[in-house]
Amino acid sequence: MIEDVKQVLAMHRLMVQSRVLDEACCEESAHWFPSQGEEAVPVGTFYGLRPDDVCAPAYRGAPIVYLMRGMTLEQVWAGALGKRTSFGRGRHFSFTAPIELRVFPYIAGDLGPIISQATGAAFAQRYRKSDAVTAVSFGDGTSNRGDFHEAVNLGAAWRLPIVYVIQNNHWAISMPIEKATAAKRLADRAAGYGIPGVAVDGNDVLAVHTAVQEAVRRARAGHGPTLIEAETFRMRGHIAADTASYRAPEEVEEWRGRDPIQRLEARLADAGVLSAEDAQAVWAEAAQEVGEAKAAAQRHPDILPTDLGLDEMFATPLREA
Amino acid sequence: MPGKRMTFVEALVEGIREEMRRDPNVFVLGQDIGPFGGSLRSTLGLWEEFGPARIFDTPISESAAAGVCLGAALEGLRPILDISFGEFLASAMPQIVLHAPVVHWLTLGKARVPLTIRTKVGEGPYGGHPQCFEAWFTHVPGLKVVMPSTPADAKGLMKAAIRDDDPVLFFEHMYLYHGVRDVVPDGEHLVPIGRAEVKRPGKDVTVAATAWMVHRALQAAHQFAAEGIEVEVLDLRTLAPLDTATLLASVRKTGRLVVAHEAWKIGGLGAEVAATVAEQAFGSLRAPIVRVGAPHTPVPAHPTIRRAFLPDAQGIADAVHAVMKYAA
Repeated sequence: MIEDVKQVLAMHRLMVQSRVLDEACCEESAHWFPSQGEEAVPVGTFYGLRPDDVCAPAYRGAPIVYLMRGMTLEQVWAGALGKRTSFGRGRHFSFTAPIELRVFPYIAGDLGPIISQATGAAFAQRYRKSDAVTAVSFGDGTSNRGDFHEAVNLGAAWRLPIVYVIQNNHWAISMPIEKATAAKRLADRAAGYGIPGVAVDGNDVLAVHTAVQEAVRRARAGHGPTLIEAETFRMRGHIAADTASYRAPEEVEEWRGRDPIQRLEARLADAGVLSAEDAQAVWAEAAQEVGEAKAAAQRHPDILPTDLGLDEMFATPLREA
Repeated sequence: MPGKRMTFVEALVEGIREEMRRDPNVFVLGQDIGPFGGSLRSTLGLWEEFGPARIFDTPISESAAAGVCLGAALEGLRPILDISFGEFLASAMPQIVLHAPVVHWLTLGKARVPLTIRTKVGEGPYGGHPQCFEAWFTHVPGLKVVMPSTPADAKGLMKAAIRDDDPVLFFEHMYLYHGVRDVVPDGEHLVPIGRAEVKRPGKDVTVAATAWMVHRALQAAHQFAAEGIEVEVLDLRTLAPLDTATLLASVRKTGRLVVAHEAWKIGGLGAEVAATVAEQAFGSLRAPIVRVGAPHTPVPAHPTIRRAFLPDAQGIADAVHAVMKYAA
């Protein structure tokens, strides 16, 4: 049942770290995008990719992917706390990614364009005849944008090495997915593009990981994209300050019983891989790391008015006349 | 420098061809640019030379095409996105205005976007897709916007755009495409982005113009020469960032300014040019600034009302007369 214990324990640790970090960031900022309950999707999707693969994670839960790519917890905190050491030095979102780690950031505040940008990364991989691939994830809400349709259609038509993952957490701010589309399963949309569509339990990190890795193998072998729908649930509001009063508490409670970390821990305990004490140690270690990183980042310098950078718009400066 | 006589579009294609030969990371992506040869022959001959490894015909998906080019540029390639006609830019606005121009600054210079987006605008022999939407883009920080008026500048600016590490939006006026033929220097002919050029010197009035209106301004200037009025015709060439130094130097010399473009007058580039001169060279002005542009209606289809809509040489002449009424 559990083939590679080391890998599964690593994914468990990442999910715990993601949860602890996210709760701490929500306490710090009312505008943080909570990802609690959705950890299995980013971790299962982006775990195990190669350094030359390109990752374009959905904004909700993205920091754990940045950590997987080599960003430090202290750097994440520098962003969350708005410190001068943050990527973008205050010019960009607090949760932005270091692009040099082959992570595509959310450039602007609209949803969808990153799907075709990631398709462009896959295009570049093909252009260079590399066997690297790109994985991009985005929400169920974003999958209703024209960007999704145009990008997936083009990626499929050109058989580009990319995996499209819908992180279906049921809610686009206050819009439930069943009111946003008549489609029963978002993965069914793949048929319209002539590519495989796979629906997986998005609260089962092993199911997500297995499905994505199969899609990665297809992409690397030149067989083109796969559309994966990972069904999970947004346990909190759109942002930390959102009380989500527009939905029934029963729905949230029902999903609380399917918590992806608790489920994995139960399974690992059954398999004799991770005892309750071992699990507790992972949580304690994550809490300590996150706390220490925050304390360290709090000592970082603040952003200065001169960091505006009026003369730094262009990579190729204009020649003086 | 030795050169050849060629049309505006032949010069554009020559610029692209030379850059594609020079750098294997340069490719072209767009609709009907392969065996079809591009709308109005915008890519004629490129498919035959470079084939499917460098020339990519896309579905009708401007937004995805722009996003693919941005993603490929972030990965180090140098895409040329051929958007058939300017009105299709509207379908790709998020990528062109929200994403491509800002990522370099947001990432403290770590990300580069060496992306050239070319598109056709303005009145043309077939009259289709005539909208001139340049002003939408000059408002956006991080975009370089160019709009040449001669075959030599078309080639030189295209080569400069492709070598530039920032997103460059390249407007190609359709009336110039096959209608203007002139000598284009061979080989390494680069026109720097960000430089206007005086196409005809004069001491009495500056007419700052773009694209096809440069030719109409030259036509008007020729007629005024017979009246003893010396019109200086300034081709803006780069619309963003504006070459304010050349603009201000010209107005400080002549003391009078007319701005002419085919786009709508209200909110057009002419407003920015006029405001710049009013702010920085007010003391040199001998007359109010006059703008020549299209009236505030959609571009009409029928040739009769199309002619009535389009700013022409007479409109420029009337504006020159108006500012010349103010004596020194």
